[in-house]
Amino acid sequence: MNQPINPVQQVDFAFYVIFGISIVLLFGITLIALFMVYRYHHERHPKPEKLKDNVWLEVVWILLPSLLVMAMFYYGWIGFKALRSVPEGAMQVDVVGRMFDWSFEYPDGKRSNVLYVPVDTPVRLNITSDDVIHSLYIPAFRIKMDAVPGMDTYAWFQPTELGSFDILCSEYCGIQHANMLSTVEVVSRADFDEWLNSSTKAQQNAVALFENYGCTSCHSLDGSRGSGPSLLNLYGTKHVVVTPDGTEKTIVVDKQYLREAIYDPNKLITKGYPAVMPSYKGQISEEELAVMIGWMTGEIEEKPDGKAVMENNGCLSCHSTDGSIIVAPSFKGLWGRDVVLTQGETKVSKKFDAKVFENILRHPEIVKEGDWNVMMPVYDSFTPEEIEAMAEYLKTLAVDEEEQNRENQ
Amino acid sequence: MPKHDAFYKPQEDGKGWIRSWLFTHDHKRIGVLYLYTILAFFLVGMTLGGVIRFELIRPGMNLMDAQTYNVLFTLHGVIMIFFVVIPSIPATFGNIFLPIQLGADDVSFPRINLLSWWMYIFGAILIVCSLFTGGGPPDTGWTFYVPFSEVTSTNVNLAVFAVFILGFSSIFTGLNFVTTIHRLRCEGMTWTRLPLFVWSLYATGWIQILATPVLAITVLLVMVERFMGVGMFDPSKGGDPLLYQHLFWIYSHPAVYIMILPAMGVISDIIPVFARKNIFGYKMVAFSSLMIAFAGSLVWAHHMFTSGMSDFAVLVFSFLTFVVAIPSAIKVFNWVTTLYKGSIYTDPPFWFALAFIFLFSVGGLTGLILGSAGTDIYVHDTYFVVGHFHYVIFGGLGFGFFAAMHYWLPKISGRMYNCKIAKWSCVILFVGFNWLYFPMLLLGLQGMPRRYYDYLPEFEPLQYASTLGSWVLLAGLLIMFVNILYGTWKGKPVEDNPWGGETLEWKIQAPLPHENFEEEPTVTAGPYEFSDRGRGNAC
Repeated sequence: MNQPINPVQQVDFAFYVIFGISIVLLFGITLIALFMVYRYHHERHPKPEKLKDNVWLEVVWILLPSLLVMAMFYYGWIGFKALRSVPEGAMQVDVVGRMFDWSFEYPDGKRSNVLYVPVDTPVRLNITSDDVIHSLYIPAFRIKMDAVPGMDTYAWFQPTELGSFDILCSEYCGIQHANMLSTVEVVSRADFDEWLNSSTKAQQNAVALFENYGCTSCHSLDGSRGSGPSLLNLYGTKHVVVTPDGTEKTIVVDKQYLREAIYDPNKLITKGYPAVMPSYKGQISEEELAVMIGWMTGEIEEKPDGKAVMENNGCLSCHSTDGSIIVAPSFKGLWGRDVVLTQGETKVSKKFDAKVFENILRHPEIVKEGDWNVMMPVYDSFTPEEIEAMAEYLKTLAVDEEEQNRENQ
Repeated sequence: MPKHDAFYKPQEDGKGWIRSWLFTHDHKRIGVLYLYTILAFFLVGMTLGGVIRFELIRPGMNLMDAQTYNVLFTLHGVIMIFFVVIPSIPATFGNIFLPIQLGADDVSFPRINLLSWWMYIFGAILIVCSLFTGGGPPDTGWTFYVPFSEVTSTNVNLAVFAVFILGFSSIFTGLNFVTTIHRLRCEGMTWTRLPLFVWSLYATGWIQILATPVLAITVLLVMVERFMGVGMFDPSKGGDPLLYQHLFWIYSHPAVYIMILPAMGVISDIIPVFARKNIFGYKMVAFSSLMIAFAGSLVWAHHMFTSGMSDFAVLVFSFLTFVVAIPSAIKVFNWVTTLYKGSIYTDPPFWFALAFIFLFSVGGLTGLILGSAGTDIYVHDTYFVVGHFHYVIFGGLGFGFFAAMHYWLPKISGRMYNCKIAKWSCVILFVGFNWLYFPMLLLGLQGMPRRYYDYLPEFEPLQYASTLGSWVLLAGLLIMFVNILYGTWKGKPVEDNPWGGETLEWKIQAPLPHENFEEEPTVTAGPYEFSDRGRGNAC
């Protein structure tokens, strides 16, 4: 098998070669110089000897360093080439650096702030930046590559052992530069697949699950009648059902029934509907089932969590939630206060509300607050639900005006 | 023979004391003006460095918040690089001794020489203003990388304008020196009889003239972009951030040789004088200065191996970087060979020269790790780089400057410092220096990035050690400065040629007179042809 040599070994070999030669040279130069100072000190050697220029020695002095540095150059280049030669079939992960966190996106659209990778698998990182230059540095794999806005760069590595390894930002990017940290979590292939799938699907909300599995083509989510009963307010109602042998009975729709209705739908058919639904056993996982049933029972709100959305998208690394200033206005008390925006050429003062919020996400450059220089990138990939959820979260951070007035008094 | 008045004594020309200094055309006085202003800035930069080190003694916040830290390391870099290191030896000892070593009365353009100092002061005033105006002191690092330097709200405009002004100060000095060396050599001063210090200033001068305008253009473009929104570098306006890095390093890498070459020149002058023996391979040492200046101008992109430029560019620049290592190695080998069968006097300047050779060797050898493409990827932008350039710049240029101070200040002032204390200060400096910077090399190999306000717990032991070392270094610096400045003012008078040098500055009186030479000297031998007789004890 043509297994590529791991670049870590190549790079480390170059380190050994260069350090080895360097240490010999440094000790050689130092010891010889000190010996000369001792041996030819004027008290021991009062009369300096006039020596003729020695052409051969000079040639040696030129050739010796030339040969040594060319050897170092060669091994350094071999190491570099290994770092740049991505094996075919490497797993692709898109990396985006932004003030001040990393985002890793997998081919199926799953996003994470931590880089999960399966062991013994080459991983290619496609790197870019949303704002200023960052640099993705993973010392354990000897890789470092700048994340440059408007440019695509890459790096690759192949983890050979399980564990957690530091990811750091090594290009100075502003106030939180030292905290722009993450980790590579190297896990077994099985654990990785489980993580990728489970978390991918758990992240999807119930509505999306109903849509993805085609449920909504028969079962409406808004109470309207389709070729199957609507799922809205289904939970807890009484249904007359028909068993396969034709007997009718009345049941209350509970979790057990919903589970059976999805995994073994023909056992109990709601009266008045055709028995056409296939079983979803083996397709819809237990976790997904729990999310779907949770939606129907009302236990899981399908709305995204605003705070989580903000954390995952790095908002909170610039905007604090406690009134302190990091590099941008704090979210604390932002809701409902007046903010200065531009409309064309003119400045206007507007109350911060849902509309203003959405506008700023799409056009951050309109903000003209105080001395702030707008560094915020455009965020236009949020879903309306996510924007609403974030707005709800901002509302909870609004400063109570009465309380404020009391404090001011 | 009755002595003439020292050049720093008032002249009877009716000018007031302040005017006679601030508007002098005398290269010696301008050199002294530079010396004191550079020392003042060194003290500021040193204090900032000490404060930064103290902040890093433990993880988390110790003295200041992250923004203050970012401002301080930016100021430390800007002040040390542009106000101390770049002018350093050429503007001080170069100004004072270049014309004398050539047998000339002054530099070619004495007024431009004065203008150069005034530009320097103007730039300094601008930097001070940038601290208190606009959005606060700049926090971009001395490299002013875009797009960060374009989005930050701090006062980058004024800071880069100051750098622009300082660039002209440097260009004028280089222009002056190159012209002086070509036009004002005295009779018999052929190119192969030039002291090696002059050769190094000649190479430096060319870099100053040719490379500094690129920096001026670059910072001008940053200002144009900040003020007018032209998209040169900012990708959101269609610009290319890598273009900035190329332009910046086209100047700033050769600038490293502006810093180190004059120090190599000083060492090349000191070693033969204290070994009482001609330098080994004069022509190679002189030629290697030109080689460094030439090849050093072609290696700038080795700062950019991780920037996303093409792999072919990495190959080329890595190769050229190793080429520039060769002339540096030749110099070190030739210095050590010069000691062979000499008759060595171990006075303080020689101690500093030996410390220079060791520290510069460490700096140069760690540079090989950075020049090699594969290994650079790992240590780029880590503490290894911080350790490396402090070994080259502080260990090299800094110790070269200290050596020059101990070598020439007695000549300038006519008074000798305390040699015993000078040797002790050299030892303390050497120990403190390695204690402070060697842990940085190890930190970089552990993978700690630079410009970090806070750090992971595994980096704490070495950071702690490094901070302890900084106190030893500070102690050494204070002892050395007090000793040498006290010696300059109050030390015992010294004879004209305490070290037995053969270059022209040792043939005139100490302290230096107003007029360099009563009549134009004639040179009949090389700069390091010493008689067989020993010399007296200078200290």
